[in-house]
Amino acid sequence: MAFEVQSLWDVLVVMGLALAIAPWFGSYLGRVYMDRPVFGDAFWNPIESVVYRLLGTSPRHQMRAREYMLALLLVNGGVLVILFFWFFFQSTTPLNPLGIPNMGWDLAFHSASSFTTNTNFTHFTNESQLSLGSLMVAWPLALFLSPATGLAVLAAMVRGFVRKDGTLGNFYVDMTRSVTRLLLPLAVLGALVFVLLGVPETLSASVLAHPLTGGTQTIYLGPVASFQSISLLGSNGGGFYSANMASPIANPTALTNLWGIGLMLVFPFSAPFAFGEIVRRKNEAWPYVGTIVIVLAVALALFIGFQAATNPALSTVAGLGAQTNGYPVGIDTRFSLSEGSTFQVVSVYCNVGANNLQIGSISPIAQLDLLFGMFTQSTPGGVGTGFAMLLLFAILGIFVAGLMVGRTPEYLGKKIHTSHVKWAAMALIIHPATILLPFVIAVAGNFVVVDGSTIGATSHNFTSVLYEFTSESANNGSALSTGAFNDQTLFFNVAGALVMLVGRFVPILAMLMVADIFSTQEVLPAGVGTLKTASGTFTIYLTLFLIIVTALLFLPVMAMGPLAQIFGGM
Amino acid sequence: MASEFTVEPGAHVSVRKVPHMSWRRVLASSFRGFDPRREIHNPMMFCVYLLFLFLIVLTLAPWAFPDIARTYNPDYYLAVTVILFLTLWFANLSDALAEAQGKAQADSLREIQSGILARQVRPDGSLAWVASDILRVGDTVEVRPGEPIPIDGDVVHGAALIDESMMTGESDAVTRESGGDKTSVLGGTRVLQGTIRVRVTTEKGESFLDRMIRLVEGQGRDRTPNELALGVLLYAFTISLFAVIVTFIFLADFTDIIYIDIATIVALFVCLMPTTIGALLPAIGISGVNRVARANVIAKSGKAVEAAGDLDVLILDKTGTITVGNRLAVQLVTAPEVPMAELLDAALLCSSLDDTPEGRSIVRLVARRGTQPRRLEPGTFKVLPFTAERRMSGIVLADGREVFKGSLQAMETYGAILPLELRRKATEASRQGMTPLAIASGRRALGLVYFKDVVKPGIKDRLRELKTMGIRTIMCTGDNRLTAAAIAQESGVDDYVAEAKPEAKLVLIQREKAQGRLVAMTGDGTNDAPALARADVGLAMNSGTSAAKEAGNMVDLDSDPTKLIEIVSIGKQLLITRGGLTTFSITNDVAKYFAIIPAVFIAAGAGTLPGIALLNLLGLSNPDLAVLSALVFNAVIIPLLIPMALYGVPFRPRNAIDLLRRNLLLYGFGGLLSAFVGIKLIYILLSWMEALPWVQHLGLVVSHLLPLGGL
Repeated sequence: MAFEVQSLWDVLVVMGLALAIAPWFGSYLGRVYMDRPVFGDAFWNPIESVVYRLLGTSPRHQMRAREYMLALLLVNGGVLVILFFWFFFQSTTPLNPLGIPNMGWDLAFHSASSFTTNTNFTHFTNESQLSLGSLMVAWPLALFLSPATGLAVLAAMVRGFVRKDGTLGNFYVDMTRSVTRLLLPLAVLGALVFVLLGVPETLSASVLAHPLTGGTQTIYLGPVASFQSISLLGSNGGGFYSANMASPIANPTALTNLWGIGLMLVFPFSAPFAFGEIVRRKNEAWPYVGTIVIVLAVALALFIGFQAATNPALSTVAGLGAQTNGYPVGIDTRFSLSEGSTFQVVSVYCNVGANNLQIGSISPIAQLDLLFGMFTQSTPGGVGTGFAMLLLFAILGIFVAGLMVGRTPEYLGKKIHTSHVKWAAMALIIHPATILLPFVIAVAGNFVVVDGSTIGATSHNFTSVLYEFTSESANNGSALSTGAFNDQTLFFNVAGALVMLVGRFVPILAMLMVADIFSTQEVLPAGVGTLKTASGTFTIYLTLFLIIVTALLFLPVMAMGPLAQIFGGM
Repeated sequence: MASEFTVEPGAHVSVRKVPHMSWRRVLASSFRGFDPRREIHNPMMFCVYLLFLFLIVLTLAPWAFPDIARTYNPDYYLAVTVILFLTLWFANLSDALAEAQGKAQADSLREIQSGILARQVRPDGSLAWVASDILRVGDTVEVRPGEPIPIDGDVVHGAALIDESMMTGESDAVTRESGGDKTSVLGGTRVLQGTIRVRVTTEKGESFLDRMIRLVEGQGRDRTPNELALGVLLYAFTISLFAVIVTFIFLADFTDIIYIDIATIVALFVCLMPTTIGALLPAIGISGVNRVARANVIAKSGKAVEAAGDLDVLILDKTGTITVGNRLAVQLVTAPEVPMAELLDAALLCSSLDDTPEGRSIVRLVARRGTQPRRLEPGTFKVLPFTAERRMSGIVLADGREVFKGSLQAMETYGAILPLELRRKATEASRQGMTPLAIASGRRALGLVYFKDVVKPGIKDRLRELKTMGIRTIMCTGDNRLTAAAIAQESGVDDYVAEAKPEAKLVLIQREKAQGRLVAMTGDGTNDAPALARADVGLAMNSGTSAAKEAGNMVDLDSDPTKLIEIVSIGKQLLITRGGLTTFSITNDVAKYFAIIPAVFIAAGAGTLPGIALLNLLGLSNPDLAVLSALVFNAVIIPLLIPMALYGVPFRPRNAIDLLRRNLLLYGFGGLLSAFVGIKLIYILLSWMEALPWVQHLGLVVSHLLPLGGL
């Protein structure tokens, strides 16, 4: 499909608007977590204090990293268990008018892990394997609590920079405020706009349609608008329909597509400003905003560019002639090239994972582009944790840069020691580990089955498996293509669930541990000898550091999948 | 107590020899580095070592690995193995060089110490010769002219002129005497004049000489916090790359997607690892301490050297650091109705027997005005030396006439009459940074003599450099506020503490540290000891007391307080070298991608695809040679950077952001560019060599001999 410049304007306007409100919303976000007076206090404070009393906690109770992590694991573990049993006994749960059967234990485990970890990678088909109750009650529980967990981690981590008493906040309070002050109001707003733009919101399970082609068609319905709203807003990415945002019911018009892009960008763009607000140095947000915008812009340009380019494999086929319309297969033609591409790039780079096109049939470079976003997990990454990950990258970057200016590296007046580097590096290397280890097992154990036989030796299949584990490890949730190989198997369910759990909670542990160390350090005064991080030089440095380090770690694997596909024609 | 003799410059002989480094020892040590027990200390190089061993086996006996060695090619495998060997050897060489530098220095120090006998003073007062090794803390020894001092100690009796050149390289002899702040002597130094008794203050093996030897030899060198943290980062890289490459081999083999030669994969891994910084990291640490030692400073730990790079505040003594140390008389002012001649005469009288620099400068000033010293008959006068209580000095002549000079305050206490005019002038002079002393005959004030501190030449520039680096300087002085302000202004020091009492430095350090700043100071007196101990970097002067030297974490053998500034630079250089080489290593890798990845695809038969040309920026058409070129570059860059590791990167004080911009350009962009150019040049060289007849013959021979036992 040819590239039209004019269709780029609408997405740029939406992204620009998301960026424009980010300083304001980020500041609000920061104030919410620092308990500074904000709009809405009069309404929410009494409600929240009731919630705290019900939870048996008090904002005065401040937790250290250990207690915070345990509370986090307790809540997330609770969600995991509830979801597991709900899906395992799905046929007997309420709101199952279509009589959807139980899930097997392994699929229930995968699904529960997937939703709890903010991944929303699905190994099932919604329409035939998920009851209305699952869609309206069980799954939404995770749709709210998993981004709330991400936001809580971000708040706790950033507090480490400004505190000296070793505490990071109260997990239950942070969770409550994430839901009441941020997720709930925005989700309602998001859903209302979706409804206005024509997305269905109903309690009836299905309608019968009589299409022009004759016969009848059952169209499954439900609270689609509210589901998609929180799904996109909270970097969940789960779809009410299996086709997700490629479904014309969930994403009927160009406007809903644009609104979706906006919803996905709200938290990722605002997180740096929330950080600036919490540490009370607003300028410190800019290096991160800069890095995120640069990486996202390059990713978008490459994606659109290669999607519009000629497919070299096709041009060599005799009799086909010059092929000029890029990679049209699997693309929703209701959207222009830029609109569809932007949604997809933003979705993957924000670790949302909602698809509006078929990733399996796009250009290999575009696939590589999406993989890169999941390798960094931080440009901008998922709600809360994406920015926390970027902070870990920054700590490592500042460490090397700090040495280059001849001082023991420090950030925001706190020195960076071996223990910080250790935890940050651990969060960095756990990612390739959780991708490659299960990959090797899958290949060695002949678990990759395509059309009933074990994997064929093509780099496309290689990329499919690589994409699956990368998406799970990054808690992204997008899939290369449904049906490239059969992932609804015991192995892929269990391995995938474990990858998602490790990929979620080990980095969170690292983030809290880094914060734990920072939270006991004194703040040192800055001088001209201190590396100024709020500067253009540092922004460019951080961007390059992030790209080069990520490329270093993942290049060999990229070479075997997408690159081999491009260059090897294999 | 006055000295028994005068100090004549150049009254001594030898200057410490430049340590000689044995190349044979360096070579031997570099090969000993291949011992796995030594390799394992550097995990990154140990990974390379394991791969090297694996490749040896694979090269010699490929038939043992039928799966892996499908594309076995003897000359290529041998070449990769040899280059890996060179990579490891170069890494060992850098360690060996750094250690040898230290060892050579240690050897020359040891020579000084060997076999010294000591004349021990027994409890009954008799003397006996004993080996210096058996001396214990508290023993007393006697040392006579021409004899070496057996061990570190304090002079408890007598005074001596001592040659410390073998320790400090400083050619001027120094005076050491009992009492006061100049009591400590170093083992290994030599007495030139005078006999002294020395009480031993350190056990054998704990003396400064021993400490210095241990330090330069790198024994018990604790890795510093930054080195440890950088190590963790590099190991994390290594571990994950190792995992990535192992899975890569495994997956490539299993999926048959793209067949990559095993030697190429090993090469890819070695190239992607930051081996440059990994190989040089230990040498950088060792050489940092060596550089401090070469500046004639004993650092008690590597940590202290690194901390020097982090300093925020330097507390400097005014006297000796910022000013030349002696205030000099610059002007004489008479009191109303007193003739100048009378003042000149009085000034001369009270100063001609005053051997202090101040006194001598008065004599010089008077002489310049044409009045020559009068000869005084012995026994016709009594000198009243300066004491801290009286704060005046003077002379009482036989006729009962008393002439004094001293501070205005002291004069007043004494009861002298100071005309208002004189007070006004004194205040005026103080405001200009001069120190006025009054000269009085009896109780009549005759006039004033103005003293002025002379700021050391060059100190202004160094203080400005410090400011650029973001280090605040605070001058500490016993002078009054006005004098201090004037000197502070003249020298460019940021802040000053005037009328400082001995404990002022400690208070200052505590105040700055409470605000989270890292503070350094110099000191020599016992008074300074608590502050030296409290400071992050406490540089004690070698001429100072043992207490001061014990308290500080560095001792300057040259007793030059401005050396603190040099140490800051060494500390910063140390960190910049590490950061710079890390960045260099990482950007090198980017260039290596562009050499190896296209080679992998060209080797797999994808060379005709247009995408490859895009990636193959360097135009390396022969895949084997491309891989070898990247690997050779990776190896030779190590010895090329050894001088940088040993001597540190060039460092000019700048502010942090300029420094980052410059170093990013230098090491980041430089690393990228040098690798691109280097790999291309090596490729051209290798292509040329490959065509040489003898190389081809050699290749044939290798193909025939390898693999052992046939494929």
